[in-house]
Amino acid sequence: MLRIGIDVGGTHTDAVLLDGDAVIASTKALTSADVTTGILDALETILTEHRGIEDTVEAVMLGTTQFTNAVIERRELAEVAAVRIGIPSGTGIPPKIGWPDDVARSLGDNVYMIRGGYLYDGWALAELDDAEMDAVVGDLKAKKVDAVAISSAFSPMNPEPEQILAKRIRAAMPNTRITESHKIGRLGILERENAALLNASLLGFADRVVSSFVDAIRQRGLTCRFFVSQNDGTLMDAEFARQFPALTFASGPTNSLRGACKLTGLDDAIVVDIGGTTSDIGILQDGFPRESSIVIEVGGVRTNFRMPDILALGLGGGSLVTEGGDKVGPRSVGHALVEEGLVFGGDTLTATDIVVATGNVTIGDSSRVADLDRDLVSSAVRQMTGMLNAGIEKMKPSSDPLPVVLVGGGAVLVTEKLDAASEMLTPEHAGVANAIGAAIAQIGGETERMVSYDKTPRKQAIEEVTREATSIALAAGADSSTIRMADIEETSISYMAGNTTRLRVKVVGDIGSIGGTTAGEDVA
Amino acid sequence: MKLTADDLQDLSSGAVFLATGGGGDPYVSFLATRKVLEEHGPVDLISVDELDDDAYIVAIGGVGAPTVSLELLPSVDDASIALAEFERHVGRKVDAVVSFEIGGGNSLVPIMAAASRGIPVVNGDGMGRALPEAQMMTFPIAGVAPTPAIGIDYAGNVVTFSTDSTGTYERHVRAMAQAMGGMITTAEHPMTGKQLKSSVVPDTISFSIEIGRILREYRGSAHRIFDPLSAAFANSLYGDLFHIYTGKVVDYSSSIIGGYDIGEASIESFDNGEPPLRLNIKNEFLVARIGDQVVASVPDLITVLDYETSTPINAERLRYGQRVTVFGVGCPDYYRTDRALDVVAPRCFGFDFEFVPVEDLQEHHQSLAGT
Repeated sequence: MLRIGIDVGGTHTDAVLLDGDAVIASTKALTSADVTTGILDALETILTEHRGIEDTVEAVMLGTTQFTNAVIERRELAEVAAVRIGIPSGTGIPPKIGWPDDVARSLGDNVYMIRGGYLYDGWALAELDDAEMDAVVGDLKAKKVDAVAISSAFSPMNPEPEQILAKRIRAAMPNTRITESHKIGRLGILERENAALLNASLLGFADRVVSSFVDAIRQRGLTCRFFVSQNDGTLMDAEFARQFPALTFASGPTNSLRGACKLTGLDDAIVVDIGGTTSDIGILQDGFPRESSIVIEVGGVRTNFRMPDILALGLGGGSLVTEGGDKVGPRSVGHALVEEGLVFGGDTLTATDIVVATGNVTIGDSSRVADLDRDLVSSAVRQMTGMLNAGIEKMKPSSDPLPVVLVGGGAVLVTEKLDAASEMLTPEHAGVANAIGAAIAQIGGETERMVSYDKTPRKQAIEEVTREATSIALAAGADSSTIRMADIEETSISYMAGNTTRLRVKVVGDIGSIGGTTAGEDVA
Repeated sequence: MKLTADDLQDLSSGAVFLATGGGGDPYVSFLATRKVLEEHGPVDLISVDELDDDAYIVAIGGVGAPTVSLELLPSVDDASIALAEFERHVGRKVDAVVSFEIGGGNSLVPIMAAASRGIPVVNGDGMGRALPEAQMMTFPIAGVAPTPAIGIDYAGNVVTFSTDSTGTYERHVRAMAQAMGGMITTAEHPMTGKQLKSSVVPDTISFSIEIGRILREYRGSAHRIFDPLSAAFANSLYGDLFHIYTGKVVDYSSSIIGGYDIGEASIESFDNGEPPLRLNIKNEFLVARIGDQVVASVPDLITVLDYETSTPINAERLRYGQRVTVFGVGCPDYYRTDRALDVVAPRCFGFDFEFVPVEDLQEHHQSLAGT
């Protein structure tokens, strides 16, 4: 089975062509400003040697850090009005409280708190007020706000207030982009509201980015199905990705960890993904990224997505080397490395120049670093090794040494043995591990049911719902031997009789053969 | 000592450790308290000895199911309204406020009340941890009457309580909390300085700040943080710190029953070398068992931490697949007296066994594991 994995990063667009498990072509191209050209360039390279296979490619999977980077770098964020339905509760705790000032500012000043919402037992917290809703809609219209995030107290149990307000806004302004919080998060109103706000802020950008992806793939003559990878390592279809770009947050690290697993065959390892500006350290356990169990911040904003546990260090190929080699990073020339680095003819001393100066690696013009002070070089190498050792020490699950897998474009930077490593591996294709991870991303199956534990014992209910989720995953093309439980979520609806619980189960499995239903549909 | 907005982060994370899974996530209370302190300035944190014997003090905090506060947000002026309503109800001014529960967000609620009114907050509390019922507080155990007391809900609706029995007060306040959205703010157990001195668990606010500082400075795996934490507890009125278990959450269920979060969690060791650990939850982690053997129980403290970062985890934030470490801590001696055990022993929570101190259980368990 032929499939293509593409990873669109801030600097590079990588692509791989997989035949079953084998990587038969790979490339690293520069990400273009319009995204499309970069993808076309990458596709051109991997398809050049395999003319005429366009019709036999079964799927294209795309991973992207575009949306995460947009939040972290505070760009492409559209103004979003935040409307919370929950007054009189939460007075003085408005939406965006606790956010870094710059992200909060990027989303504008339009914050509304109105009466309504529900209590835990189904009693109205307050009645929705027609006049108050009209005033909000009128103000949104006057201010020409085109994106809105709506949250409401206990909306995972009763989404009606969010739905009513969304309907009114759409009736008055049909083109408004709206994210209702109950569609993107679970219990925990602040985190769910934050996720809805970031998502709504990215909707316009998502439209453009997904369109560029689809255009590029179609222009290259690929007519197969197209998926985008999510933060939990499963796939969603293009239409779903347009509506929920925030679900791609952290898909980059997930893909690079899964790619490292695929490339080395190791199920348990420390993976260090070294890019131009940062090194991301993650842990593979049983072949999957270790998840973070604490509240995750995206660009300083608290959310409650499930995400891999990643430690980012300010060390990459473009990191500035200063103070006579005693300081490396966190500032970096980033993607300008190929112009500003010494070995590329520039005049900025970077981590890449240091490694070339050690003689262990050949990149660019090594004569330009031949005269570097030896003490400076060895001091900088010590710094870099020390930073990685300290980071790995923080992340590793026990004191036992584990294999360390180096991936990413900057993997060549590591020339010294790391203390925490039982062995060090830089597998072939390590530079494109992200794209490989995207290509092997999994199919998810999710089922949600209201169940009464008084009528059906809990264990039996979970088994039944799991069976249903499994059949959805199988229908979407998952290989039955690889199906495993990814998540169980229970929300007790205490105002309903019979110990009623909203039970949600997600299972995932490797792609067997693509076919049947669209994987993204069951997520919606 | 002045409490400033800068102390609040450490105070809240230390308070989650001491909350033994209950008390609610203090994040929202932290945001609200920071806002109040930024507006009104620092608060006087006074030691118990600094109080006049005839000073008039009231305990302030939230009562209800922690899961509710994930969705029903408090308002920044809940605490000051509760204090004002209490003073109106009793017809006199309060000289200082005290926390009835250091664990979780209730460590912060009295600070908001104190700041907005310019009165001090007492360094200490009525539990030294978190516990689910009012009669389990040190104040009633020492004979302080629960009322006059008031409660306010999310809409500012006020109820008053008048009973001399804290057991009865607990029934009333629980029923009202359920009827008023699941979480209310109360001002209760008014007492004199003299009464407070004989009943409070002293210095717990400053101790919680210290625990929070250790959690921040030694952020990392649970085995890394054990020694500094252990040293801090050895120097406190608590007992020793023990490592109880490390593993992955394989089952967790919880529902709001009778105004409490009632649930159970199972944790499986990473290498499956040991039988799973089961935790019983009633707002707090009450009992930890490995197989049939109890390895720690209330009133001793059972705390669950994220294995990798040592961040303490509230019971309502437990999730399938989390990797966790479970610590046990001996409770303050006060809670091991017969008088206290009458209301906080495992039997008071419906468990059919006597309380055995965590240090004895650990010794027993280790000797079994070693043979």
